[in-house]
Amino acid sequence: MKRVLLLTGKDFRRKWKNPVVIVGFLLIPVVFTFLFGIIFGSSEENVLPSIKVLSVDQDQSLFSRLYLSTLTQGELKDMIDLQSVPTEEKARTLLNKGKASALMIIPSEFGDKIWAGETTQVLLVKNPSEQFLPQIAEEISDTTALLFSALFQVFSEEIDQIREFSEQSEIPDQIISSLSVKIKDRIQGIEKYVFPPVISLKQITQKKDSESQNNSLTVQSYILPAISIMFLMFICNIVFEDLLREKEKGTLLRMSISPLRISEFIWSKILAAVIIGVLCSLFLVILGAVVFSIGWGRTDILLLIVLCLNILIAGFIAILYTFIRTERQAGALLSSVIVVMALLGGSMTPISSFPLFIQKISRFTINYWGLEAFKKNITGEPMGQIWPIVLGMLGAGIIFAFISSLLLRNKLKRGLYR
Amino acid sequence: MLKISHLSKSFDKVQAVNDISLEVKQGEIFGFLGPNGAGKTTTISMIAGLLKPDSGTIEVDSMNIQRSPQRIRGIMGVVPQDMAFYEELTARENLRFWGRLQGMSGKDLEQQIQYYLNKIGLKGREDDPLKKYSGGMKRRINLIIGLLHNPRLLLLDEPTIGIDVQTKMSILESIREASQKGTTTVYTTHNLFEAEDLCDRIAIMDQGKILAVGTLEELIQIVGEKDIALIQGEFSTDQAQKIISQEKGIEVITMKHGYLAISLDASKKIPSLMKSFFNLGVSMDDISLKQPNLESVFLKLTGRELRE
Ligand SMILES: Nc1ncnc2c1ncn2[C@@H]1O[C@H](COP(=O)(O)OP(=O)(O)OP(=O)(O)O)[C@@H](O)[C@H]1O
Ligand SMILES: [Mg+2]
Repeated sequence: MKRVLLLTGKDFRRKWKNPVVIVGFLLIPVVFTFLFGIIFGSSEENVLPSIKVLSVDQDQSLFSRLYLSTLTQGELKDMIDLQSVPTEEKARTLLNKGKASALMIIPSEFGDKIWAGETTQVLLVKNPSEQFLPQIAEEISDTTALLFSALFQVFSEEIDQIREFSEQSEIPDQIISSLSVKIKDRIQGIEKYVFPPVISLKQITQKKDSESQNNSLTVQSYILPAISIMFLMFICNIVFEDLLREKEKGTLLRMSISPLRISEFIWSKILAAVIIGVLCSLFLVILGAVVFSIGWGRTDILLLIVLCLNILIAGFIAILYTFIRTERQAGALLSSVIVVMALLGGSMTPISSFPLFIQKISRFTINYWGLEAFKKNITGEPMGQIWPIVLGMLGAGIIFAFISSLLLRNKLKRGLYR
Repeated sequence: MLKISHLSKSFDKVQAVNDISLEVKQGEIFGFLGPNGAGKTTTISMIAGLLKPDSGTIEVDSMNIQRSPQRIRGIMGVVPQDMAFYEELTARENLRFWGRLQGMSGKDLEQQIQYYLNKIGLKGREDDPLKKYSGGMKRRINLIIGLLHNPRLLLLDEPTIGIDVQTKMSILESIREASQKGTTTVYTTHNLFEAEDLCDRIAIMDQGKILAVGTLEELIQIVGEKDIALIQGEFSTDQAQKIISQEKGIEVITMKHGYLAISLDASKKIPSLMKSFFNLGVSMDDISLKQPNLESVFLKLTGRELRE
């Protein structure tokens, strides 16, 4: 162990003296976050594609159906992915599982109140673990609610005609959608805010199991960890490149004349990679907090995530090195694996924008789990939600490290001595 | 201290080391003298445990190095032919690292570092990164990394290449000093003077074989009292053969078209030899005599000159 530390210290000193590449890799996530913040900071909905909203129609009247139908017309259709769920209970479990950003409940008296000319409410339950997606959902439902109330004041006569229609027990879906299209078309150009809303939107945030900090997931707090994870892998690779370089330059040969064991040499590299990775991560975390005002969540959990994530990365890169012979191969294989993982794992685009089968593949990436952990801590999810991820990362990292230390030992010995 | 028996190693088709056996005593400086490709580095690498022999055994302190490599490593110091250290780090940082790796620490280590930095004339440059050093300065550092921990068995593979005469002298002196303290040294070189000057015993190596082993005096016995004459001129092998057959007491080492190396008692034979050449009408461009020394021994054994 003493010798491992000696070697790790030596590597650390060498990197410290020649920090250009690492600093470069650290700057990229920072610059990206900065740019994304500028571009999307004000209109967050641009960053993210369709928002999953669950709907529970307790009213089942013509008006409730009309209302839901307007939500899926025209531009709104691209923004909202409305999924109807039969009961509120079921919807809430889905929401808790994170299957949607918000839940919209149309109460049973919705239609009756509109008939009576009273103000009515649509209930919007937001997913506590997300912040900006539900916000958009809220804005949209807000706007449509306004539109809807405007509709009743402008087209009260037509509505009377519809009323007769609704007296019939069953209204075909086609009629509903054609009506909603008509309404939408006719309503265009009307300054919606002229009319006082009949439907007010009452929104509540779902109560969480335990009290926790309520940080919001902003564009920056998504982008910074996402891109950082990718570049932490590149930084890790800089340490592992030395496995081959020390063999080539003869320092490994010289070491193997000393009492040092090759396995100690390998572990020293893994340790150096973890330490340098953790330091770089901490730099990014602090910078994120200071410059981008990212609220990372609980600090102790954050540190744990950072440590375990870097162990996982080091173990994984070490495994990749068991497949590599030359430095050139290392460059090619490593960068393609890292980039593909970043793509699939949500480091470049949010996973929710992928088709379902790709979302399943995402779960096999480091990026996905790292991001999940960060996200859950940021939004203040209970420890119970974060532990499994952290332990999973740690366990996988250690297993990877052990396997690679065995495989690399034989590999490094082979052809070392000329 | 070191015992090698029937050691062989080949790479693909090249028989790099071919059945060599020898023994080196405690405190002895033992030299391998041979031209490029003789198998010196291959032999040293096997002694260092870096290369697995095809056959044969190596014992250090009666321990078989293949059976207990870890124990032997601690007592060995190796200076590889190719430089191996960290260019980004300073001389001092490098020496500290390699010293600690060998189990040194604290004051002991610092003193040792100071001592050797002085010795090789790098005082004042110790805090420069090695990448700023000249080639010769790097070689010096490469050397003392191997000496630092006072190894009991020191393996040096052509450590003086590219080093100026003054530094070379101080390096040789360090090696001698270490040997006086009991360090056993195995030294490879293709430099005759170094071998003569430094080594207690020398093995002359060529094409993987040891041609002769002994002290300088013993080796010179091989050529006896005779000198070696190298004659160059415009003559054929037939002509040369004819001339030599006329004389007694001449031993041919090499005979090629226009080149003749022979062993003879120069004072007696040279005049008549020159006469014979003259009588045949053959012109001699050059005739040179070598007194009995390591060079002539090498020539005698291999039929070739050992080039620097
Ligand atoms: N790794 C290797 N693969 C193939 N052949 C090798 C290898 N190492 C050495 N050889 C061959 O073995 C022979 C002996 O090489 P070696 O390096 O031991 O010579 P040397 O005496 O150290 O020469 P030099 O004075 O040039 O250093 C040479 O013919 C060389 O080509
Ligand atoms: Mg050599």
